[in-house]
Amino acid sequence: MTVAAGVGYVLIALGPALSLFASVIAKKPFLILTLLSSTLFWLISLIILAGAWRAFLPVKSTELWPYSILILTSVGFQEGIRIGFWRLFKKMEDMLNAFADRVSKPRLFLTDKMLLALAGGLGHGLAHAVFFCLSLLTPAFGPATFYVDKCPSIPFFLISAIIALGFVIIHTFSMVIAFNGYTEGKRKDQIFVPFAHLIAALITLINLVPGGCNIGLPLLCIMAGTTLYYSWQLVWRRLTEHQTTRSSD
Amino acid sequence: MARVRVFLAVLFLLFTSSPVHGADNGSDSVLESVPDLEKAMYLNLKSYPCVRLLNLSGEIGCSNPGNDKISAPIVRLKSGTISLARPSTVLLQEEQMQDFFLRVSGDMEFSKNVAGVLVEPSETVNMSSGFSPADKFPQSAFAPYSNTSYEWNLPGSGIMWNKYDFPVFLLAEESISTLKEIVGEGNEASPENVAEFDLVMQTTKLGTHDSETCLKDQTCLPLGGYSVWSSLPPINISSTVTKPIVFAVASFDSASFFRDRSLGADSPISGLIALLTAVDALSHVNHLKNLKKQLVFAVLTGEAWGYLGSRKFLQELDLGSDSIRGLSSSMIEQIVEIGSVGQSLGKGGTLFYAHAGGESSGTKVILKALEDASESLGSDNVKVKKASSMNPGIPPSSLMAFLRKNTSASGIVLGDFDSAFSNKFYHSHLDNASNIKTSSVAAAAALVARALYIIANGDATLDLMALNDIKVNVSLVEELVGCLVTCEPGLSCELVGRYISPSNGDCPSHYVGVFQDTPSASQKPSYVDDTSRFLWNFLADMTSATRDGTDSCTGDCSNVGDVCIGSETEGGGKCVISTTRYVPAYSTRLKYENNIWHVLPANPSDPMESVDPVWTESYWNTIGLRVYKVESPLYDRLVLAGGVFVTFASYLAVVIARTQLAKVVKRD
Repeated sequence: MTVAAGVGYVLIALGPALSLFASVIAKKPFLILTLLSSTLFWLISLIILAGAWRAFLPVKSTELWPYSILILTSVGFQEGIRIGFWRLFKKMEDMLNAFADRVSKPRLFLTDKMLLALAGGLGHGLAHAVFFCLSLLTPAFGPATFYVDKCPSIPFFLISAIIALGFVIIHTFSMVIAFNGYTEGKRKDQIFVPFAHLIAALITLINLVPGGCNIGLPLLCIMAGTTLYYSWQLVWRRLTEHQTTRSSD
Repeated sequence: MARVRVFLAVLFLLFTSSPVHGADNGSDSVLESVPDLEKAMYLNLKSYPCVRLLNLSGEIGCSNPGNDKISAPIVRLKSGTISLARPSTVLLQEEQMQDFFLRVSGDMEFSKNVAGVLVEPSETVNMSSGFSPADKFPQSAFAPYSNTSYEWNLPGSGIMWNKYDFPVFLLAEESISTLKEIVGEGNEASPENVAEFDLVMQTTKLGTHDSETCLKDQTCLPLGGYSVWSSLPPINISSTVTKPIVFAVASFDSASFFRDRSLGADSPISGLIALLTAVDALSHVNHLKNLKKQLVFAVLTGEAWGYLGSRKFLQELDLGSDSIRGLSSSMIEQIVEIGSVGQSLGKGGTLFYAHAGGESSGTKVILKALEDASESLGSDNVKVKKASSMNPGIPPSSLMAFLRKNTSASGIVLGDFDSAFSNKFYHSHLDNASNIKTSSVAAAAALVARALYIIANGDATLDLMALNDIKVNVSLVEELVGCLVTCEPGLSCELVGRYISPSNGDCPSHYVGVFQDTPSASQKPSYVDDTSRFLWNFLADMTSATRDGTDSCTGDCSNVGDVCIGSETEGGGKCVISTTRYVPAYSTRLKYENNIWHVLPANPSDPMESVDPVWTESYWNTIGLRVYKVESPLYDRLVLAGGVFVTFASYLAVVIARTQLAKVVKRD
């Protein structure tokens, strides 16, 4: 599809990620480090999952239910890891605060903690996009295009890019919601993230049905939008509450 | 980590979108890696190209117009198409080929939008009127008579002798289903199917447009190969030959619009097979040494491209080279050429025609021998008739070269046709095994074998018992047809495997090819093609008097005058006494000097040199054809715009969000 289309697909998949990186994360080296380590974390979780599922793959069935079991276990595992990630984050926060006290510098602000969550989420999202979309995108820079039998109306690379875009947003902002939820102990937030992740992953199963991508892709985008909106509401609420508590000191 | 990637890749397929099913002839093939994806995107189609050939005055054949690959959307040619809207790849049925190429040569408006041509072979060949891209009188300039407008090849259109500035490919049978899947019934919506041709010719790249310039600049090679001759029984090299010679000849090269699809089943391979079978039949006769004349068999190549084999053979005879040691042109008394003999089945028996050329007393001998042989075959009902006197002379054949060289020579061309070729697919890719009948070839072999015995017997009393013992091995004919004219088993058949290990065990191709060697007097040339090597080994075996205690060999034999048969095979070869030699076949106007081929001026005493086109074939790097889907340029720009939009919109959103949140936080 030529270089123009190839660049276009890269930008569709990674546009928001690049924007976030450039305007928020690039300025603080610690956030870059957080991003990179969360990327690594996510890839390791994939390796473990692949090892665990090795014996059962490839799934030769044309039914959808074996795939749902696969998705259920994988999402469950990754959400479990996310709690672990959060525990690590808490430990790191304590260490940083202790260090700050020692050198009589201010402790981590709420915004800092949220930025760390954002960087962590973005790391997950970037790993997903690079691994599941960019690695396949090299042929897109050539002259040919490709259509999957089950989805004859949308080119394969475009589907890939849009799915990657959706998951970048979902992963990034899920982390923000999740960290806040675990910190505050709010059940609603804690349940929202695994739920959203699971639903988004199951939505992709719709693509396995002939013509399903015409429904699956918009649904995925709606899911991403929902996550984004929820996260925005949560952050706004938290920051305003925090301000009021502070100013009331 | 690489193994993990594979697991993860499979995991990907399950995590996100559907398992990607490749369009693999309908079968569900799951793609598991990026190379698999590329293979599913770019479909290589097995096909046969038409290449660029040059002569002294210009070019023929096909080539990409420049230095790059060409790609254009595929359009099926419908009858009644006036013109093409934009540069396209024209998809033709075989039946449309002749009209299309004739039109392209005449109509500039039409041809300027022809970017490439794909020819789809028909499953049922319903070309009842025949198809031949050759001329109506092939190589008429070489004829020893002046009526060059006589039509020997009635379906001839001459389209293979024109120059085309676009690539043309014939699809192989196995690619038809792939193509049907891709092209469907002419859907013109985006995405379009595009064919990409890689047929870049060196002569086009470097602008050398005729044989002389391209040979000088080394962008082409002359056409040529190696002919083989053998004598039965072997000639004693120490004594100069004293017996007159009966010379039996057949050619083994053909031509076609498509370089690698020249089977030439009827013309000329049926004649070749008849000759080889006759040699086998005669090799069982006991007392050949006592016959009055010496039998010599020659199989010539390059005949379709200016009678290269026969003219070079005659030149070597004049020069007395090593390659023809034991022969002398003055001793050749009769020449019997076996032309197309695969289609002579008529009502109850076979009928062949003897086309006589040259001095009449000599031809009378041959004709009488043929008639006597036919009589002796009695119940087999193999008849021979003299060709019509309304014919201007002999048909296009190697005999033409012999007659023009020596007007006192005499010979006969045996064929299955009288006044015009019965082969409706002369020099086309359709002249395949279904175009000949084994029984016709076997009948010709029997006729020729007995006739040669009678001629070699001279005026001595004929031993009728011995004559009637000369019988043809019909299963050998079938084997040879299977090896030389079909793709299954083709050159990987058992008979060929006994003598050589073919470099291409696939479909045999009888295009003479280019002369890659540096000409030398050696009898162990480096670049001999599969067919020539097989013929050399086969003839050496058939005409051999095996030495007692055969020693195995891989190259040379200890005794001078012995040759090593089957040296390439796994078990090694064996040394036999045989007079079998390679004779190079390339234009007599070429001379190899200082690593370059030079075109010499025409020898005024040789009338054929002035009409010799001196054919060469351009060098080429790779030749390929692939098909893929392409989006419209508008789509590509939209995708790029979309990506840029998404990036900027998200950047804007982030900036706005940041300012909003900063207002909330209000740090002092």
